[in-house]
Amino acid sequence: MIGKLFAADLLKTRRTGIWWVVLIGAAGLAAMQALNFGLRYDYLVYDTYAADPWGGLIKETSMFVPIAVYLAMTLLMGMIANIENRQNSWKQTLALPVRRSEVFASKLLCCLVQLLAACVLLAASTAAVGLLLGFGGPLPYLDLLTLGFYPLLASLPMLGVMLWMTLTMRNQAIPISLGIAASMVSVFGASMPEILPLSWPMLVVRGHETLRFVGLGIALFAMLYLLGSIHFSRKDVA
Amino acid sequence: MTEMMIETRNLTKKYRGTRAVDALNLAIPQGEIYGFLGPNGAGKTTTIRMLLGLIKPDSGLVQIFGQDLKRERIKILRRVGSLVEYPSYYGHLNAVENLETIRRILNVPKNRIDEVLHTVGLTKDAKRSVKGYSLGMKQRLGIASALLGGPELLILDEPTNGLDPSGILEIRELIKKMPQEQGITVLVSSHLLSEIEQMASSVGIVNQGKMIFQDSMPNLQRKAGSEIHIALSDPEAGMITAREQGCFPRLDQGKMVFKGIDNGQIARLVSALVDARHSIYRVEERRKSLEDLFLTMTGSGSADTADADFRSGSGAPRAAGLPREAAQ
Repeated sequence: MIGKLFAADLLKTRRTGIWWVVLIGAAGLAAMQALNFGLRYDYLVYDTYAADPWGGLIKETSMFVPIAVYLAMTLLMGMIANIENRQNSWKQTLALPVRRSEVFASKLLCCLVQLLAACVLLAASTAAVGLLLGFGGPLPYLDLLTLGFYPLLASLPMLGVMLWMTLTMRNQAIPISLGIAASMVSVFGASMPEILPLSWPMLVVRGHETLRFVGLGIALFAMLYLLGSIHFSRKDVA
Repeated sequence: MTEMMIETRNLTKKYRGTRAVDALNLAIPQGEIYGFLGPNGAGKTTTIRMLLGLIKPDSGLVQIFGQDLKRERIKILRRVGSLVEYPSYYGHLNAVENLETIRRILNVPKNRIDEVLHTVGLTKDAKRSVKGYSLGMKQRLGIASALLGGPELLILDEPTNGLDPSGILEIRELIKKMPQEQGITVLVSSHLLSEIEQMASSVGIVNQGKMIFQDSMPNLQRKAGSEIHIALSDPEAGMITAREQGCFPRLDQGKMVFKGIDNGQIARLVSALVDARHSIYRVEERRKSLEDLFLTMTGSGSADTADADFRSGSGAPRAAGLPREAAQ
């Protein structure tokens, strides 16, 4: 059933421009670093990161990944929810022979697929930038992939909140404002106490106990997802 | 006894203390077009949302196809098509894509899309983006979505709301075809008696969340009754002529008002009046409006009193004080 729902949800994203967000978000981050390295090539490549230019590129890029991931979650979930919210199509979708929990799961899947696509695109475009900059040697595949992937996992609690808020709230201004505010604050994640989930993606990026915060992110997300799903399944559809 | 497609028992939904739907007992027999009638805010949409499992009743039971909605929701919904209030659609997609999003979930063959588009007459505009559709077309697309799964029961909430007369006609004809051609039972809600009257075979009237009348359409028409108003040059003298003919009208604003009078009687009366040198200005039939019907029904609930309180459509104050106050 979830496969059918997902297929329907994918069709609904057609012509919404949602995939452009994925593309521009990921490629934009890489383009920014192309500019950064292009302008300060000698300083960055021959001086600061002379020993490991690939590592340097990835490190410079990674500083912007947490804010990008938070913004992407907010924007993508906002757009996904908007498809149903705009003409209040919930009453049509939920009057179909489907489980509410599966509808909820399908929306999550939709967003996750887009975020994962963005991660892969980020890895590919960052690799392209590195090659264009003339970094030789073997490509650091693993580091390129985890560049987006680890912060994404550590940011999952935010997706849990966004998923629930955008799909259950009439007033989309609330989740979107909250999402943007959180994105801004996440930049200073490294100087926040680690009990705040907002700090996790930045801590992961800085290489502090990466797997611990990835695990915490997944665990907290699972809890939030469950609560959101229960609420979504029980609430009255106006 | 015919099988009931929808049956509710003491269905109740409260919103902040007020009962939007109050102990409602619906009974919709198979193969009927059931008109669900009531003024705005009477609880029609709330009831329909409960029938579709969109909102949960505070108490009471919904049975569709003889099965409990709470337990068999998915199984039941597979056999139900619905259109709730204004149409839901994805404006950025065209009609075919809109239906495809639903088809993927229902898992019906692809040619169903062409079939339902043909049924609602949208084949020509199928590839246009739905944002550019008129309200009537969107409403027809909504009905196409409802028909896609080949339902046995169609639930349409205010399908003609906001449409122009030709749009209303189209939708009405479409709905009337359903039971005949495809054996579909239809529940259609409206706040317009005239609208329901033209398509429904049985009818339920709700007011303030309560079912105040539920029966076949002919029985409602009998209950609503109609009056013949005759406007003429000298009503006082006309009354005497009428009595000589064995009719006993009342006088209302210079018109003679007849109740329960058949065609033959009217013909004889008119010719007697002409013979008596009256100038006849108008002979008209007045139906009791929905409002009047509501007022009399909510006023007492019994047919006898409803008849006794019968008034003209213009709302003349005669004998009307009691039911109007009681209704408020």
